[in-house]
Amino acid sequence: METDPSPLFDSGFLSKLEQLHLLSKRIFRGQQRAERRSHQTGSSLEFADYRNYTHGDDLRTIDWNIYGRLDRLFVKLFEEEQDLHIHFLIDTSASMRWTAPLSNSRTDTHATKFNQARRIAASLAYIGLANLDRVNLYYFDSDLRNDMGISRGKSQFHKVLDFLKRAPHRNSATRLLPSLRSFAQRVKRRGLVFVLSDLFDPTGYEEALSLLRFNQFEAHVVQILDPAELQPDLFGDLQLVDSETGLTFDVTSDRTLLEQYQSGIHAFLESVQAFCLRHQIGYAQALASVPFEDLVLRVLREKRLVKS
Amino acid sequence: MTFFNPAALSFLGLVPVIVLLYLLKLRRRQVTVSTLLFWQRVLKEHRRRALFQKLRQLLSLLLHLLIFLLMVLALARPQFNRLLQNGSSVVLILDSRARMQAVQPDGETSFIKAKRILSSYLRQAGPQDSMVILSLNGSVEVATGFTNDETGLRKTLAGLQPSDAACDLAPAVQFANELLASRTGDKRIVLVTDRAQPDNPSTPGIQVSVIPTGTPLDNVAITSFAARPLPNSPQTSQVLLELRNFSAKHQRGNAEVYLDDNLLDVRPFDLNPDGRHLEIFQVLPPSTGDTKGWLTARLDTKDALPLDNEAFAALPARTPTHILLVTRENWFLEKALSADNWVQFELLAPESFRPEMASHFDAVILDDYLPDNFSLATAAGNFLFIKKTPFTDTEGIIEQPPVTDSDSTSPLLRLLKLQDVTFLRASKLRLPDAPGEWRFNVPLRSFESPLVITGARGNQRLAAFAFDVTESDLPLKIAFPLLISNTLQWLTGEQPVSATNLHTGQTMALAPGETIETEPRTSGSQATALRPISLAHTSFSPTKNGFYLLRHGNQNAWIAVNTASETESDLRFKATALQAPAHSFISSFSSLPFLLATAWPLWMLFALAAFALFTLEWWLFHRRHTE
Repeated sequence: METDPSPLFDSGFLSKLEQLHLLSKRIFRGQQRAERRSHQTGSSLEFADYRNYTHGDDLRTIDWNIYGRLDRLFVKLFEEEQDLHIHFLIDTSASMRWTAPLSNSRTDTHATKFNQARRIAASLAYIGLANLDRVNLYYFDSDLRNDMGISRGKSQFHKVLDFLKRAPHRNSATRLLPSLRSFAQRVKRRGLVFVLSDLFDPTGYEEALSLLRFNQFEAHVVQILDPAELQPDLFGDLQLVDSETGLTFDVTSDRTLLEQYQSGIHAFLESVQAFCLRHQIGYAQALASVPFEDLVLRVLREKRLVKS
Repeated sequence: MTFFNPAALSFLGLVPVIVLLYLLKLRRRQVTVSTLLFWQRVLKEHRRRALFQKLRQLLSLLLHLLIFLLMVLALARPQFNRLLQNGSSVVLILDSRARMQAVQPDGETSFIKAKRILSSYLRQAGPQDSMVILSLNGSVEVATGFTNDETGLRKTLAGLQPSDAACDLAPAVQFANELLASRTGDKRIVLVTDRAQPDNPSTPGIQVSVIPTGTPLDNVAITSFAARPLPNSPQTSQVLLELRNFSAKHQRGNAEVYLDDNLLDVRPFDLNPDGRHLEIFQVLPPSTGDTKGWLTARLDTKDALPLDNEAFAALPARTPTHILLVTRENWFLEKALSADNWVQFELLAPESFRPEMASHFDAVILDDYLPDNFSLATAAGNFLFIKKTPFTDTEGIIEQPPVTDSDSTSPLLRLLKLQDVTFLRASKLRLPDAPGEWRFNVPLRSFESPLVITGARGNQRLAAFAFDVTESDLPLKIAFPLLISNTLQWLTGEQPVSATNLHTGQTMALAPGETIETEPRTSGSQATALRPISLAHTSFSPTKNGFYLLRHGNQNAWIAVNTASETESDLRFKATALQAPAHSFISSFSSLPFLLATAWPLWMLFALAAFALFTLEWWLFHRRHTE
C-alpha cells in the first residue's frame, strides 16, 4: 500500500532544478542542437580546428590568412553543440511497490521505493528537458514495458508527469537482464541510461548492467531501498511471503538472525557498489525515507551526476 | 512403579488434542517482504541455524508433551514398588535438648528450624509409609507411635517443645533401631540436630540420615551452681558458682545472686577465651521462718543461649526442733528458746513430767529437776540437765568456779568463749564409773571439776550443766542463746540437710509417701500462686529448670534443677549433613539439598519437574517480543 503523503513534484523544487546540469562523461552524436558541447565539428561560431581543403567544401570556410602565408588551402572547423539522449528505466516490479506495514515500532510514513524512483526520474527528466536533451522514460519489471516516447524541451515535461502517474501495476517479478536486453535492442541512439531499481533480481544484476556498457550506453544505477529492508523489525515465528513470487518461507526471527540478515544485505549493497565502480557505472543509493530534495541535491551532486 | 490414582492416566488420551492444538498454534504470522533473497541466503549460509529452525518446533512440541506427561504422572500419585511391597518405616528424631534453644543470627531457634525440616518429611506419610516421632529431651520420648496420618503427625510435631535437659544422642538412635527392628520394608532414621555424635554401631538395613540445623555460636554459661551447709556451721551455707566462656573472645559481666527474689550479691567476672571462673562464697540465710531458701544466679550478658545464663540452688533445709522444757519458771531459758525460730518448745511443770514423754520430743530440758529413779541405763530420749543432773556428786557445791578448760572443738562450745562467764556456784559433777554404752565428754571444766558433761549412746544424747543459768551472768551474754542452740542442735543430731540439686533429665526415685510437683517455679510469685498441681509419685525426671516442691507428709523441701552441662552450653560445633549407608551410623556424606529432596514424595517431584520444563519452554520459545 502506498503511503506517500506528499505531492509527486512541486513548483518550488522545479525552480531549483533550473540551475542543475547533467554532467555527461561522453558526448554523443546529436541530431539537433542542445545546450552541451560536442566534440563533433559543426556550424557553430566556435573555432575548433583546421583541415585540408577538399573538393566540394564550402569556400566560405577557407582560412585565407593561412593561404596567404603558407600558400595552402585549409578549411576552418567549428564546434557543434549536440543534444543528449537520456533514458530512464524505472523498475515497476512488486518489490518496488512494497513498503513495510505500519506497526508499534514503525509509525512514520514515507514514500514507497516506486514513488521515490518516479520522483528521481521526473527530476532528472526535467533537467534533461531543460537542457534540451532528449528524454525518454521506460517501465520494466520482468521485461521492458511501455515507454513515454522521446521528448525534448521543457514544454514536454507534462508528458513526463502523465507517464509517471499512469504507471502500470503488474506485481511482476524483477528481471533485469531481459528488460535491459530489450531496451538495448530497441534503442539505437546511445546516451545516458538511468536504471532506477532495487536490483532485487534473483538471477543477478551483473550481466544486465554489463549489457548496457557493451551497448555503448553510459549507465548509472540509482538503487532505491526501503529502510525496513535494511533493518527489518521482525521477531518471532513468521511466514515470510515474497512480494513478487508469492513464495513463502518460514522463519523464526530473533536478534541473531536479524544481525545475520543485515550483514547479508549490506554485503549485497557493497557488492553492487563495487561492481559499478569496477565497470565505470555510476552508482547511487537512495533510501525511500530520505526527503526527495535532499536526495537529488545531495546524493546526485556527490555522484557528480548533476552539477550547478 | 505403582500408581495410587491410576484413573489420572486416562488424561494421556488428551495427547492428540495437545498435538492438534500445537499444530494450530504453529500457524505463523504472515508478513510480506520485498524479497526472500536475503532471508534464504542467511539460512543457507548458517546451516546449523537452519536445522535448528526446523527442529525447534518439534522440540517445543516434545517439551509440551513431556510437561503434560509429568503432570499426568504426578496426578497418578506414583510410588516405587519396592516401597509398596512392604511399605516404609521412618523414625524422625527431633533433638529437643537444651542447646537447641540457641537463638540463631536470624532470630529463630535451632529447635524451630529443626521442626520445619522434619515437617517437610511428613509429606511422605502415606498408606504404605509409617512414621514415628521421637523427641530427645533428657530421655527418649515417643511423641507418637508409627502412623501414616500426616495430619496427626503434624499436630504432634507442632506441639513439641524444647527441654532444658542434656543427654546423648546415641540412646535415641539405639531406641530408633529397636523400633525399626521388627518393621518390614524400607527402614530409615532421620535425625535433626545441631551437633552430631561420634560413630555408634547401628542395625544393618537401616539407613540413618543426620540433618544439621543451626550454626556455631559463642556462649557464656553458668555450668555449676550449688549450696551446701558448712560442716562446722550448719546454719551457714557455702555456695559454689562456676562460669565458662565458650567463645574465642573476652567476656565480661556480672553474676547476680538472689535469695528469694532479693538481690544478695553481685560477682563481676572477666573470662578469657575458653576460660573458666569459680566463685565460692558463704550465705547466712535470715532467721525468719518464711524464707524459702531459693538461690538464683543470673548473668547480665546477652548471648545465644539465655537458658544457661540463669541457675538455681536451694539452701539446705532445716526442720523445727520440738523441745519440752520442764521448769518451774525460767524466763531466761524460755527467751533463749523463743529466739530460735527453728525451735518449738512446750512448757511443763516438773511434777507433770513423765519419762515416757521424752520419746515425743526431740529433746527434753530438765531445769533444776531430776525425776526420781532416773536411770541413764534405761532412759530414752535426749536430755539437757541443768543444775540437777545424773552426774551430780553428793560431795557438794563449788563456789564461784572459774572456767579453766574449754574444748572449742566441742559442738556445744562452737563459736563460744565462756572463760569470762561468772558462775556463782556449780554442782560438783562426777562421771559414772560404769558408763556402760555411754560415751561421755567434758567440754568445760573448772579445774578438775566438770562444768559441762556430754554423753552419747547410739542415737541418744545427753548434756548436763553443773550450774544454774540464773546463778551466773551467762544469760546476760550473747553466749547464752548460742550455748542453748548449740546444745539443742547437738542433742537432736540436727544437721541441715543438703538441698537436693538435680540436672534436667536426671531421674530421682521418690520414697514411699513422697510426692513432687512436676511443674517448676522460678520466682517468688510462683511459689505461692495457686495453680493446678501435677504430682509425681514414684520417680521424678524434670525437663525444665527451676524449683520443684517435694512433699513428704507435712514436710516440704525444694529441689533445684539446672541444665549445668558444658556439652549443652558449648555451641561452637555444628553437625554435618550425613546420609549413612545401612551398615554404619554416620559415614560417607551427602549434601543437604539432596537429603531434603528425598523427603519429597514422588508426585511432587514430577510436578516440580513439569514446572521446571514449563519455565524452560517459555524461556526458549516464548520469551521474545512479538508483534
